Amino acid sequence: MTKARQATGLRLAATAAFVLLVAVSLLSAVAGGLLRAGASWSLLHGSVVVAQAAGAHAALMLSGFLGMVIAIERAVAVRLRWAFGAPVAAGLGSLALLAGRFEVAAALGTIAALVSVAVHLVVLQRQRAPHTALLLLASCAWLVGNVLFAVGRGPADALPWWFTLPVLTIAAERLEMTRLTRRHAVAMPVLVAIVALLLAGAALSSSTTIGGVLFGCALLMLALWFGTFDIARRTLFAKGLPRYMAVCLLTGYAWLAVAGLAWMGVALGCPGRDLALHALGLGFIVSMVMGHAPVILPAVVRVKLLFGPWFYAPLLALHASLLLRVVVGIWEPALRAIGAQLNAVALLLFAITVVLSAIAWGRRKAV
Amino acid sequence: MNTEAAAACPFPYQGPQDLQERIVSALKQVVDPEVALSVVDLGLIYGVEVDDEAARVTMTMTSAACPVTEVIMDDVEFELERVLPAGCMVEVNIVWEPAWSPEMMSESARRFMG
Repeated sequence: MTKARQATGLRLAATAAFVLLVAVSLLSAVAGGLLRAGASWSLLHGSVVVAQAAGAHAALMLSGFLGMVIAIERAVAVRLRWAFGAPVAAGLGSLALLAGRFEVAAALGTIAALVSVAVHLVVLQRQRAPHTALLLLASCAWLVGNVLFAVGRGPADALPWWFTLPVLTIAAERLEMTRLTRRHAVAMPVLVAIVALLLAGAALSSSTTIGGVLFGCALLMLALWFGTFDIARRTLFAKGLPRYMAVCLLTGYAWLAVAGLAWMGVALGCPGRDLALHALGLGFIVSMVMGHAPVILPAVVRVKLLFGPWFYAPLLALHASLLLRVVVGIWEPALRAIGAQLNAVALLLFAITVVLSAIAWGRRKAV
Repeated sequence: MNTEAAAACPFPYQGPQDLQERIVSALKQVVDPEVALSVVDLGLIYGVEVDDEAARVTMTMTSAACPVTEVIMDDVEFELERVLPAGCMVEVNIVWEPAWSPEMMSESARRFMG
């Protein structure tokens, strides 16, 4: 076998292993989430693994799945082999969570975040820019969350830090894109203030009510910042993929604003914890994932996708099912459970869309 | 071989004059998918040098954290190989100095982005 073929074989094997670890993290997180939301699927009940996943839903979804995906993205970007240590550790951490080995999972999560911080230091060294500094801050937030989890402070204390990882990562990526437009002079200082508020909120969340209020306020202000400065307002009027991405972004920003308000409300004792967590996790973050997948997947998995209007179907399913879950579901728990199941269906629909689009691209090339 | 730099080229070019136009239009096929702007219009191409053996592209990215870098490099190679003479290799070199800035975008790209 030639060296080139060996390298291709190794790359394929590594990609397959990462896809498997990402899929296990996501599927178990969804299964655990469904059990928590009261879904009555017989498949979920009686399984020890699903019960573990229900207990570790936030850790699996935020640190396991999203942490791993973000770490893979960055490892591909820096093109350094050791950078893949972060997603490997995060993925193995998910497996440890499912096995009920929380101390092992916490150690692996901490290692993953430490490697990620090192990777982001390399990125910052290569390009000293506000968005690379923000990405470094995001990885530090992941580290704080995982250290809190490791010292036994529980998922509730780690939660705002875990959420800060994807929130600041998205903020950094959108900040970078604003460089393509004439950015208003106040945009940067306002964003710095929002980030400071978010971090203060995360830090104070475990000890005082004000922490949750600050965190929610920062999310709301961030949504307003995106709505004011993001290039999605402009690319919405383009065609094809840029418009689809803009729709994902703008609808995500609307959910981010809702999440901010709900987060503040919950901190002050109002109901709506499910609304706060899932407007942020599903409405904002998953909407971003759906928007960026047609661009990121070809880079990471080396599979090109044929973009078409069918990509709007899972997006619509996500937002509609989320409305049912978090708005109607506040008054009616049965509808909340149905909404949660439809959230899972939307994710499945998106996975099917991606696979069919990859096949369609292959066929089009073959013609 | 005529290796004079051409005046109308949107980036520094050294190589046969008859290839220049084809190289520019080939590179304009490589687009950033989110904004549908080419790497040429975004000002990411810092220079192209072509000799009998290879076309050497020096380019940058707007972000060092972007995982799409390798895909864009592959697209540049793919598009250039279609217009270069058989046997002419393509080498893509990513650099971070000088740092990319919005002023490097073409007039039409700046108009589009506002």
